[in-house]
Amino acid sequence: MFNRNKKNSTPIDPKNLDQSFKAYVIRQFKKNKLAVVSLWILFFLVLVAVFADFIANEKPIICKYKGQTMLPILKGYAVDLGLSKWDQELSNVKWSTLEYDMVVFPPIPYLPTNIDFDNAQYQSPFGDQVVKSKKWWHWFGTDELGRDVLSGIIHGTRIALIIALFSTIIATIIGIFLGSLAGYFGDDNFHTTRIEFWLFMIMFILGCFYGFVTRGFVLSEAMSSDSLLSFFKEFLISIFILVAFVFASIPISKILAKIPFLGKQVNVPFDMMINRVIEIFVCVPRLFLIIAIVAAVKSPSIWWLIFIIGITSWTGITRFIRAELLRVRNLEFIEAAKSLGYTEKRILTKHAIPNSLSPVLIDIAFLVASTVLIEASLSFLGIGTSSDTITWGKILALARKQNSAWWLAVFPGFMIFLTVTIFNLIGEGLTDALDPKLKK
Amino acid sequence: MLKYILKRILLFIPTILAISLVTFLISQNAPGDPVESMLNKQSGESQMADKLASEKQYLQLKSKLGLDLPVFYMSMSTMASCDTLYKVVRMDEKAKLDKMTSLYGNWAAISRFNDESRKVYKGITVIPSDSLNSEKLIEIRALSNELIKQFRIENIKKSIDTIKTLCGSIPSLQEYKTAVAGLAEPLSAIENNKTVWKNYIPTLHWYGSNNQYHHWITNFFKGDFGISYQDQRPIGTKIWDAMKWTMLLNLISIILTYIISIPMGVYSAKNKGTTVDRVSTASLFMLYSLPNFWIGTMLVVYLCNPDFLNWFPPYGTGEAGNFKDIAWHLILPILCITYPSFAFISRQMRGGMLTVLGQDYIRTAKAKGLSDKVVTWKHALRNSLLPIITMFASVFPLALSGSIAIELIFSLPGMGQLSVNAINARDYPMVYTVMMFTSILTLIGFLVSDVLYSLTDPRITFTKK
Repeated sequence: MFNRNKKNSTPIDPKNLDQSFKAYVIRQFKKNKLAVVSLWILFFLVLVAVFADFIANEKPIICKYKGQTMLPILKGYAVDLGLSKWDQELSNVKWSTLEYDMVVFPPIPYLPTNIDFDNAQYQSPFGDQVVKSKKWWHWFGTDELGRDVLSGIIHGTRIALIIALFSTIIATIIGIFLGSLAGYFGDDNFHTTRIEFWLFMIMFILGCFYGFVTRGFVLSEAMSSDSLLSFFKEFLISIFILVAFVFASIPISKILAKIPFLGKQVNVPFDMMINRVIEIFVCVPRLFLIIAIVAAVKSPSIWWLIFIIGITSWTGITRFIRAELLRVRNLEFIEAAKSLGYTEKRILTKHAIPNSLSPVLIDIAFLVASTVLIEASLSFLGIGTSSDTITWGKILALARKQNSAWWLAVFPGFMIFLTVTIFNLIGEGLTDALDPKLKK
Repeated sequence: MLKYILKRILLFIPTILAISLVTFLISQNAPGDPVESMLNKQSGESQMADKLASEKQYLQLKSKLGLDLPVFYMSMSTMASCDTLYKVVRMDEKAKLDKMTSLYGNWAAISRFNDESRKVYKGITVIPSDSLNSEKLIEIRALSNELIKQFRIENIKKSIDTIKTLCGSIPSLQEYKTAVAGLAEPLSAIENNKTVWKNYIPTLHWYGSNNQYHHWITNFFKGDFGISYQDQRPIGTKIWDAMKWTMLLNLISIILTYIISIPMGVYSAKNKGTTVDRVSTASLFMLYSLPNFWIGTMLVVYLCNPDFLNWFPPYGTGEAGNFKDIAWHLILPILCITYPSFAFISRQMRGGMLTVLGQDYIRTAKAKGLSDKVVTWKHALRNSLLPIITMFASVFPLALSGSIAIELIFSLPGMGQLSVNAINARDYPMVYTVMMFTSILTLIGFLVSDVLYSLTDPRITFTKK
């Protein structure tokens, strides 16, 4: 890699002093100009997503109204969290019509759901918009109802990135877990006692029963109530019950394993089992599966969408990490760890998985790209999010109703394209940076 | 080889069964009552007066569709719940009873109260309208509906009390007052004999083979896919009609893809680093990232629009039998389906070819004095085809997924549109069948790609290592 002769003959670039793998990968990644630019664009998109409320909002950022100085957007957050309340006259007010002593509006003074009646019926960005001043111009035009397209795109960034980020996290966790089981243990390296296996199965079923069947009523009540938080809380309690049952099986089976018949060693073919599950997921088209599951949810919201996309997208990562671990588990350092007498758990979590994670980064980047695409196509088809959530795909779908409104097709489509492209480029950059064949 | 293929086909069976179970599980949890929506479609929203007639119709339709059978071979539930709950046909009633058992736990009393409250409810629905007390009557009817909908005893008691006072104020309704008052006794029976503990004891019910899943899966393998809930047409013919278009589009698209992308990948790999290569790689990357539903929409906006360019028809498949017209309609959809896979496969082909061209045996072949043409097209191509062949397996699911949005944009009556419509209309027999068909086709795709693999690379054999 870095041979000695070279080191002696040429002075080392101080930037290259750190010779850890991570530093090496970062240096390689920086050589790919397109990938670095993509990373900057991503940074910009994240900023837009985080500060969407301050870029496009009907409320002023700061204003002086009737002698009182206020920060309405920040106050809006406080009200949403239940920390504060609007004054009587300010709740449900049309902020743009108030008379202020001093006011600073966000750059785009509209929310994506605000209806501008004067500019309804598809106003072109270059058309004759009826506005008070240039400040109120709809730069990307309006849709049939008179909603501002630019504002929709800015707030859509947030939704697209939230869905992409969280569903990728879910998929990655499932993928790494199953992939490492399949790859590290393979078909015949995981031994357990007979009692442990069967008790685990029984306790799993019992845990499901007490967590979800007995609590089915509580869960369905929480689901039909509007608060997603309460459902999440109940759901977590159910999961906790399930986990508690599963963990309870371990000490019990340790004791019972002393009986010779129950203590007999059996082999659990993880690789075969997990590969069959992957096969099932690969056979059904992913988009189709997601649509079918979303249709089975009573009131879809973006959190449901995240969950559903997450649990259907893990197969790629699983395969990736499985292949990597199949290679890693035969390397010398794992053998060394084994001969030192470390437990399987310690070897797997401290030695094997950390050393096979870096290639997964590539797959994660491409997964984010495909998630953005899936989210966009779902909302393009009008599936998955409630009608008051404006997404890129939904704005794009509006163009189908009115063919002449080109601005409804061009801008949101370009944003989808941009986001997908930057993640693909980052993935490409990572592939080049991590590929050991290119190391010189 | 034959043995290997047979073995693989046998391995399909557990996968297919598992997929069928997953599909079934999803549909069982779906909200909405398909029979209800079917009836509404047939007769419009039913009026209060003929609700009883429609109840009968509902039961008939439900048993005709086999929905009054148990769902699966067995079920695991709590000791409190009833093992014959599936016989209650109304979805909403079923949900209510389920909730009541979770709350109070004594099925016998709950079922008795349910029967009696339904009787009272039916009695109230047939009260002739009375112009003097019409407002009160409307309220009574609404409340009697609450009687059979509510699942908390406090709420039911409240409705009973209000109905009693309302009926008491109208002389002609005295008999209903006593009927409603009679409900108090079974209701208190539920409350007094609460057995909530039963909810904590698991029980397993065994129903045998006379269940919905069994009927559906055996019929599926016999080739009887059932009828569509949407328009009562047989599913087989509906799928065949739609499949024709999707197959046509995707076959043309696959052929086009491979014809263009293989030579293109080879050419750009051979001329690596030239301007042509760099331009084509960059543009293929762009194409690969372009969402095809965006391009579809843009094509409709700019090329099928009298305001811009009116070159192509925006939707439909054209006049049946008129080849030129059909081709005219299909050009844009085929373009939209083709370019993503074209970009993808060209990129793969270039990558595969680059790896192969760097191998020792290529240098050997050149050193032997073989012509450039033979080296490229005989020695290199065959080896770089391997990754492309693996992709052949995913052609079927990709074809369905990829054409969902495109078929919607261009209003083509293909599989994508058919399946999305079926899901939206809760037409579950249709959804099962589509899912099963695509998964069987995909499994066959896997098998074909494995066989092709061994044909291209004789080193790969499937006989015992």
